[in-house]
Amino acid sequence: MTMHRRALLGAVSALTFACAAPGAAQVRVGNDRILTEQVPAPPTKEYFAYVGSESVDKVSLIRFGPKGATLDHAVDVGIMPTDPDGPHGVAVAPDGKTYVVSTAHGTPFGRLWRFRTGTDEQLGSVVLGNFPATTQVSPDGFYAYVVNFNLHGEMVASDVSVVALDDMVEIARIPTCTMPHGSRLNAAGTKHYSACMMDDIVVEIDTRQLAVSRHYMLTKGKEMGMPGAPPKRGAGAHAGMDMGGHGMEMPKAGDPGCSPTWAQPTPDGAFLYVACNKSSEIVEIDTKAWKVTRRIPAGNGIYNLAISSDGATIVATNKRDQSVSIFDRVSGTERARIKTSRRIVHGAAITSDNRYVFISCEGVGSEPGTVDIIDLVAMRRVASVDVGQQAGGIDTWAGPGGIR
Amino acid sequence: MRERFAHRAWCTIALLTALPTAAIAQQPDAVPVKLVVTPATRTLAAGDTMRLHAEARDADGRPVNARIRFQQAGGRFEGVVDTAGLVSAGATGGLTVVVSATAPGARPVIERVELRVVPGPAARAEIDAPRGTLVVGQRVRLAARSFSALGDARDDRLRFTSSAPKVAEVGSDGFLVARAAGSATITATTGSVNATRTITVAAGPIASVELTPNTSEARTGDVIRFKAVAKGPAGAAIAGVMPTWSVSPGNGLIDADGAFVGYDAGEYSVVANFGTRTSEAKVTLTARDVRRPLKVVGRLPRMRFTTEEVWIHPDGKHAYLGSGGGGDVLITMDISNPAKPVITDSLIENTRRVNDVMTTKDGKWMVFTREGASDRKNGFVIASLEDPAHPKKVADFTENMTAGVHSAFIYEQPKFGRHVYATNDGTGALHVVDINDPAHPKEVAIWKTPRADAGRTLHDIDVQDGLLYGSWWNDGLVILDIGNGIKGGSPSNPQFVAQYKYDLNALYKQVELSGGPGFIRGTHTAWRHKNYVFIADEVFPSSGVAGAKDASAGRAYGRLQVLDVSDITHPKPVAWYEPEYGGVHNVWVAGDTLYMGAYNAGFRVFDISGELRGDLRAQQREIGHLNTADMDGYVKNAAMTWGVVVRDGLAYVNDMYNGLWVVKIEPKPAAVP
Repeated sequence: MTMHRRALLGAVSALTFACAAPGAAQVRVGNDRILTEQVPAPPTKEYFAYVGSESVDKVSLIRFGPKGATLDHAVDVGIMPTDPDGPHGVAVAPDGKTYVVSTAHGTPFGRLWRFRTGTDEQLGSVVLGNFPATTQVSPDGFYAYVVNFNLHGEMVASDVSVVALDDMVEIARIPTCTMPHGSRLNAAGTKHYSACMMDDIVVEIDTRQLAVSRHYMLTKGKEMGMPGAPPKRGAGAHAGMDMGGHGMEMPKAGDPGCSPTWAQPTPDGAFLYVACNKSSEIVEIDTKAWKVTRRIPAGNGIYNLAISSDGATIVATNKRDQSVSIFDRVSGTERARIKTSRRIVHGAAITSDNRYVFISCEGVGSEPGTVDIIDLVAMRRVASVDVGQQAGGIDTWAGPGGIR
Repeated sequence: MRERFAHRAWCTIALLTALPTAAIAQQPDAVPVKLVVTPATRTLAAGDTMRLHAEARDADGRPVNARIRFQQAGGRFEGVVDTAGLVSAGATGGLTVVVSATAPGARPVIERVELRVVPGPAARAEIDAPRGTLVVGQRVRLAARSFSALGDARDDRLRFTSSAPKVAEVGSDGFLVARAAGSATITATTGSVNATRTITVAAGPIASVELTPNTSEARTGDVIRFKAVAKGPAGAAIAGVMPTWSVSPGNGLIDADGAFVGYDAGEYSVVANFGTRTSEAKVTLTARDVRRPLKVVGRLPRMRFTTEEVWIHPDGKHAYLGSGGGGDVLITMDISNPAKPVITDSLIENTRRVNDVMTTKDGKWMVFTREGASDRKNGFVIASLEDPAHPKKVADFTENMTAGVHSAFIYEQPKFGRHVYATNDGTGALHVVDINDPAHPKEVAIWKTPRADAGRTLHDIDVQDGLLYGSWWNDGLVILDIGNGIKGGSPSNPQFVAQYKYDLNALYKQVELSGGPGFIRGTHTAWRHKNYVFIADEVFPSSGVAGAKDASAGRAYGRLQVLDVSDITHPKPVAWYEPEYGGVHNVWVAGDTLYMGAYNAGFRVFDISGELRGDLRAQQREIGHLNTADMDGYVKNAAMTWGVVVRDGLAYVNDMYNGLWVVKIEPKPAAVP
């Protein structure tokens, strides 16, 4: 982070917050409408979330508490003063003392950066692969897992980087599939799952062996679990395949493809949920049997997932619908679909008490990125804060005395 | 690459007894706390392989169960390391291997192993010696170098010998004295490798040396070509002999061809030496005296986004300005009155950066680039300029351009029509797109530098006379025939002509020393002018000064190099400019003047008249300088001058931080008596 870049980009402003006393209140929705409706009680404590803005090289800290939601501050991330570095993935370490940010762009390789929470002191960076994207810190806090999405160029197999955080060195780069995307570890930290957007598969990494242990074909009618890594496919294998505007375009009629964009295990690790962006479904996989057990209809262009710590609720962002869906995991019922304040809904991060979910919305063009905060009890959006353009990776932080 | 090395039997020094993923179960419950990596000697030759071994140990030094893995760190240019520790060295330099020992629930143990990759054994040698004939008494210093089979230069000290010391006596260090008429074979040797060169010595005697011009008056920076003719007693010229040159004082240079340039005003002596005879010429240099005042005649501050490329419509009345830092706007301006640029329209696109913009020569069409589009398709936009004040989009081109396009150049050839030459941000490839039907652009070619994908970046493109000058970052300047004919190239079939690659890490070592490793540096832009190609590097430190604040604390670095392309297949560096402070970003040449956006060093103007040699800054060729910092800007009170377009005697300068400046170079002030 260069100091002059901290000053380079002007501060972005808080857009709205609607956390007044419970009862009837005016709620500003987006930029244009003001509604009078019942609003839930504001939180009694403060919550925090870090969110990356890919187009303006910023990471913002959102503060949400009794006085509503505000942009606490934003810092610049990256090395290139005149070209975008593209912060994409954001992950707070389980102990809350540090956070990591993947910067996707580069010449051509991106990086992973590590910062101290609160002060944003930079603790190091390491060069990774092509377009490092979704990031998560392992439960023991020792490692970060980063998918190298390799959005650009020929569609060839890419990999998942494993970074030892204390040393900020990459200790493994595990070949997986084409366009590895949304990824998550199980709660034990023994398995890492990533979605392969262009191969229609999900890949499981055994974190003790740092190698792919299994993969699963998600295409409707061709579902199949297989041991080991998927076969390596050359660029020609994807001839004619369309990434669909990165999940923004409707699939062609009759296309059975999934185009998975997120893989989310349950806290107990028994099930894996995969967001099928193309078919707008959630695929449920029994991780022990390694079989599909359900296909749950979801919102249009389902993109990222988050699961509550009790495993009861799944939150899904709907990229083509400008909405967020709240699912009861056990029944598979969509309990609510809530409009977001901006287009191109991206990430979701649930607070540790499972009360709120922070949603990042990219926006289009020069529209600011926005973080919406949804009350998971009231099932409604209760606050929104504008941040830098193309808000993407998001994670919650306990904050100084706050709740993660 | 790994397979290639595996088949080099001669180069394998691997110890094949390794346990590549050692899991030694001697202390299964103990926690690894350290790693022992062998061998201790970690130097290998480019092309060789080496097997690394590692063992995890507990606090008492006993081997413990752990997953051991080897991983290459940093760049991928100097070799390959597999997970079992087999190192295959690709090229000379440094190679860092990370060795990790992991065990469930335990903090990983990390050991960084630095490998030094040196050139392979000497396979050939070269002697650098005068190409002409020497005369008795003449003394020259020879140089020789050795190279590995892969062409890597070695640092051997070669020993010189002469087959006929009575003709040409040479010391082991290469210091040669011509003793008598005849020929001698000079040999430079290292190990079993040698190089030879025949040296011919003319009898002489040289009775006189005619050095022309004998006296010269010029300005600093002017190149004076001296010619020395050795004559015998009868006054006849002795053909083929060449002098050794020297100049004093030292603040100038003279090359082996007798081309002299001086940096400071004053008296110089140029000496041509033929051993027993010398001749001296006097040179009087006056100051170049090109400095002129600049005047800001117009200004359009921009504050919402960063300002990117500026372009002037061929009608001279309209201009276009890109936006970045989240900007999705291409601004159209009326510059009929340059003192008051007025925004007439803006074209908003699905992008977060409009980095480059250019119009066709007839002014009917425009192309501008996209980076950061929300659908990640990016590519570029083609717009109609039927009304130059109000561009209308007619087409997108996004095929294979998901990563974004940083630069695009429109070029027309009667034989091939009109094409866009665009950079691919993700692959570093050149994409050639046929826009003869602007509404239906069609890709006709993709060209990449012939190297591994890792580290390939194409940053900027210039095309003139059917030759494309690509600024290929790590690969330097690459010249392609896209219709010139010299190599049979065409837009759909670009053909390689030449490459000028240089050691960026060595050139900017100071940047690494001040800002740490991993700094940004690469060949950034190129401009063909007469028999020269100007290339400029983009260089930034990897981190700012600790404790500093605000944009003005940051700085760029860089060097402008002047390449003589009289022989287009062999670009030859002849001159350079390196600012004391700031960078060298985009350039524009009009007439004998070079205009430059120098990033945080503002806007600069240079006199490039005449022949160019040596250090252009030392020669006082700078005409003017403007610091474009402004309190009205996206970033306040700091300059980040991007580039310039010159039209009708005015420089339209775009500053990334604060918008457009219209600058005039004022006449030389009248002398005040």
